[in-house]
Amino acid sequence: MELTKNITLGVYLPGKSFIHRLDPRTKIIASGIIVILLLMIRSYQAYGAVFIFLAAAVIIAGIPPGYAFSGFKPMLPVLTFMWIFQLFLYSSPDAEVIFSWWIFTATDAGFHMGTLITLRVIFLFGITTLLTLTTSMVSLTDGLESLLSPLKAIGLPTQELVMTMVIALRFVLILAEELDKIVKAQMARGVAFDRGNFIQKTKKIFPVFLPLFISAFKRAEELIIAMEARSYTGGKHRTKMKTLHIGRVDLAAILIMLIFSALIIFLILTVNPTI
Amino acid sequence: MPIAVKDLCFSYKQGTPFEKKVLHNISLDIEDGEFVGIIGPTQSGKTTLAQHFNALLLPQSGSVTVNGLITSDPQADLISLRLQVGYVFQNPDYQLFAQTVGEDIAFGPQNQQLRKSEVTERVTTAMKQVGLDFDTFCQRDIYALSGGQKRRTAIAGVLACKPKILILDDVTAGLDPRGREEILAVIRDLHQKQKITIIYISNSMDEAAELAERIIVINRGQKQLDEPVREVFKKPEQLRSIGLEIPEVINVIEKLQERGYVIPSIPLTLEEAIDLLTTAYAQREVKR
Repeated sequence: MELTKNITLGVYLPGKSFIHRLDPRTKIIASGIIVILLLMIRSYQAYGAVFIFLAAAVIIAGIPPGYAFSGFKPMLPVLTFMWIFQLFLYSSPDAEVIFSWWIFTATDAGFHMGTLITLRVIFLFGITTLLTLTTSMVSLTDGLESLLSPLKAIGLPTQELVMTMVIALRFVLILAEELDKIVKAQMARGVAFDRGNFIQKTKKIFPVFLPLFISAFKRAEELIIAMEARSYTGGKHRTKMKTLHIGRVDLAAILIMLIFSALIIFLILTVNPTI
Repeated sequence: MPIAVKDLCFSYKQGTPFEKKVLHNISLDIEDGEFVGIIGPTQSGKTTLAQHFNALLLPQSGSVTVNGLITSDPQADLISLRLQVGYVFQNPDYQLFAQTVGEDIAFGPQNQQLRKSEVTERVTTAMKQVGLDFDTFCQRDIYALSGGQKRRTAIAGVLACKPKILILDDVTAGLDPRGREEILAVIRDLHQKQKITIIYISNSMDEAAELAERIIVINRGQKQLDEPVREVFKKPEQLRSIGLEIPEVINVIEKLQERGYVIPSIPLTLEEAIDLLTTAYAQREVKR
């Protein structure tokens, strides 16, 4: 029993690859562009192109492909559920019925809708994971902060916001580690999490989530004290140890992104949407 | 109910870039009624090893057999195994979740669908075993407890499952001397009166020397020593090289030996040492 094994979100995998060396801002913007493209894509061909691009990025970054995929494992039930919902609930007037039983009818339109939406979620998750796997916490913070700095003009506390966001991301793994210990402590008292009917199973959440909540609050409080003990104050007076700068690798990456975006937009415009 | 571990290997995050080998070919046996101390520096793998004893972790290679049951066997009834091998975690906050002490201790027995009278009976017995007064503490709020009382509640919660083997994972960490003495007295009692097999995990040699009959020293995921408690302290150099502290008493004896005194046997507690040295001094046996 090891809960943290399949968590890839918020984990940083140190390396020296092309992607690791990019300026965090380049990576954040590139991820942003891919997210926007993903939201516009409505055909399998375009998804294929995104897949090839992301797969190449994973290989270049030196992330073992098996590990990159393992992050999806805990999401499988949710994804399946989503796919089934789309399959039975989505339809269009000219859709062909492929399966019908009692009040459930599945059409080919529903099938494609379900598949495309599932792919979209997988890719959105994938691009975020790729970003955090190749960018350390510090540079992620610096990059986001620098990108959001224009918003300071309208009075938004960008530095504090970014700090909060990055801590939240980091806590995913910390809380998973705590959860692992709590689940084990309750299993040691004979809880069988996989036995019983729905209500019995739901009841078993309490012995796990109550200690988890309490420990999350405690952790947060300890973090606050640790930060204050080192005189952390947010805001405009903070200086940086490392300054960001756009280098040659970034220019190359921007060029690649431009070509890739053009290709995807071309595919979106020319290939007939599946739905 | 004996435990037999054979060639156990275990890595965390196996198959990921973060894979970390924690246990290397560990083999050991624990007999019924023993009091075994598993001692090692932090990150040595002692908790990982102990979590194999009640199947919270399953071996990746090698085998763990508990009372004839092979834990990696997919048919094995691990739930009832975990009730027979109790595990008390280092941090009681991971375990305690109910409102009151009584409710939390009742959680284990309730999981076994026992009758209400049986549950109450078990809670009462468990509280008595750890020295918590039923009338005072049963209705007490968990968050109103002191550190030592929390530990005792956590131990009672596990005892209520009536284990034959009890694994105690660093249960005195962070307690003041008094809370610590109280816990140690409870543990000694459980072993002597209830005849429960105790596996005591700690990085403190002092406690292990005081309580255990046999000590297994784990370092970097390997078994370094596995000997009766008095034998272990004949090799203070080896223990020091691993980064374990030696009981003060042993340090004193060692210093005396360095100055040429002949000490007839190795004492484990302060009382033993005083006895030994005074009698020896009276008989003028200590001098060279």
